[in-house]
Amino acid sequence: MEAEIRTLPEVSQDVLASLRPPSLTPEKIQERLSYIIEKDRVVGDLPRRFLEAFAAVLKHTNYRQVIDNYARIPARCANCACACQIYQQTHDPKDVPCYRSNLLLEVYRRHFTLRGIVEGHLSGAPFLTDDLILEMAETYYHCTACRRCTLECPLGIDHGLVTHLARYVLSEIGLVPRALVISTREQLEGQTRNTSAIPWPAIADTLEFLEEEIKDDKGVDVKFPVDQPGREFIFFAPVSDYLMEAETLMGIAVVFYATGAMDSWTISTEFLDGINYGLFYSDWILERCLREELEQLRRLEARKILIGECGHASRSAKAFMRTFGGGEKAPPVVNIMEYTYRALKEGKLRLDPDVISERVTYHDPCNLARTGWIIDEPREILRSFCRDYVEMEPRGQWNLCCGGGGGTVSVDEIRPYRTGVTGVKKAEQIRATGAHYVVAPCANCKKQLREVCEDNGLDDVEVVGLHDLIYKAIVLE
Amino acid sequence: MPTFTYGDLSIEVDEDGFMQEPEQWNEEVAKALATTEGVDELTDEHWKVVNYLREYYLQFGVAPMIRKLCKETGFNLKKIYELFPSGPAKGACKVAGLPKPTGCV
Repeated sequence: MEAEIRTLPEVSQDVLASLRPPSLTPEKIQERLSYIIEKDRVVGDLPRRFLEAFAAVLKHTNYRQVIDNYARIPARCANCACACQIYQQTHDPKDVPCYRSNLLLEVYRRHFTLRGIVEGHLSGAPFLTDDLILEMAETYYHCTACRRCTLECPLGIDHGLVTHLARYVLSEIGLVPRALVISTREQLEGQTRNTSAIPWPAIADTLEFLEEEIKDDKGVDVKFPVDQPGREFIFFAPVSDYLMEAETLMGIAVVFYATGAMDSWTISTEFLDGINYGLFYSDWILERCLREELEQLRRLEARKILIGECGHASRSAKAFMRTFGGGEKAPPVVNIMEYTYRALKEGKLRLDPDVISERVTYHDPCNLARTGWIIDEPREILRSFCRDYVEMEPRGQWNLCCGGGGGTVSVDEIRPYRTGVTGVKKAEQIRATGAHYVVAPCANCKKQLREVCEDNGLDDVEVVGLHDLIYKAIVLE
Repeated sequence: MPTFTYGDLSIEVDEDGFMQEPEQWNEEVAKALATTEGVDELTDEHWKVVNYLREYYLQFGVAPMIRKLCKETGFNLKKIYELFPSGPAKGACKVAGLPKPTGCV
């Protein structure tokens, strides 16, 4: 197998020659997938460019071994269909996870294995067509990359990984949702260095406002430390929290206050955004965002990376910091809920059980729960002060996605799909609990669940973060 | 880029109808943009939200935190949704001539 991998790293020139222009025009793509591209970035002959990009990715990464293994498996048992909330909603065979994965695997089989190349020559017809590329661009963003199907696959295929790889290759030829590209470009190359384009003076104004709010609500002086060197934690929230989630941020700040650890964390003025859309579509971006976090950690001589309430920001750092940040020497990555849980266990949090009288339920962000990373901690925290706490079914590692995972929540153009297809099962789940508060410790999930509730008639539901409720209930001296 | 026209007005907008050149904003533009948000008439309450957003944007280059918007205008979030059915970020900001928010907003 090793030898075969080495001898076939490139696409055959004959195959490339057989792919005839004219190819898709940007106008045609725009017509079918209005959200997917920046028009001026896509130029002709997509099948050829897709194969070249795929070949380059296979050559310079270690995806090839995985994909080569997957490609040897027929992957048509469709066991995964039982686990996929999208298929369960649409009953469209195209939404079966292994059907979707097979689109990319078939391109691999036809163009990157000896047998496929020979068969291609005999049949004469090029396999990779404009239509297939469009289908991939569409379907790989219908998948929310929640990876629930990976729990069901008897052959161990990680369909989430295939979705990621397909999106990676598509992004290399300019096929990627505009919303993700614009945000990432601002974060990595823009003036503000964050995905929501918030200039530092506005963040500073917001932090000052939050400090005043805490003073008014709780009567204590709590600071959001900025650019403090030598702290234990450097804190990266999803930057949208600074616009949307006042109580999440205030809750985090008061937990540090309550634990007597106000001088153990800091925010960086230069780069403070934990969002990493690279996890959704590009390993280049994934690596660059993590390197930015690392650079700030070094600049401020912090020891650990602390991620706020955000699933993908947490998983991208937790799972890949070692890959891109120095292997064994990479700094530890901690999610804020782990910190708060430890504080609870050490008896440092006083949470008034009479404050939250409404029914509360907890939504597991896929990026925290699917691998079994953080499941019990937030529940234990909530049960300690919420009298009417109920669970959703299924939950934990088997949770249902909010319906906006994998970056799709940022694509406003597909809101009807997100709330009318992928999010419907979640809406049913929430309705069945009868909860007023749905705790979703993730910026992506919060946005999506609010839209799901709005579009599915769940008017009395309030979607909040874990630290929002802690903020309401915490007793400070 | 699409152009939005309303009466004699003609402004460059993005795919979602947000202004491309926020500096071209004026009250007439706000009234015109409001019609795309299902708001036929801008009341004093609408103007209170729009003016605060505008003022904050001119000072800081971005919309204020939602909690701050609520506090400064005295309206709760529900009220803001009543005024601007698409909400503060997508509705009110559009009428106030701010660019479309990006990221997880």
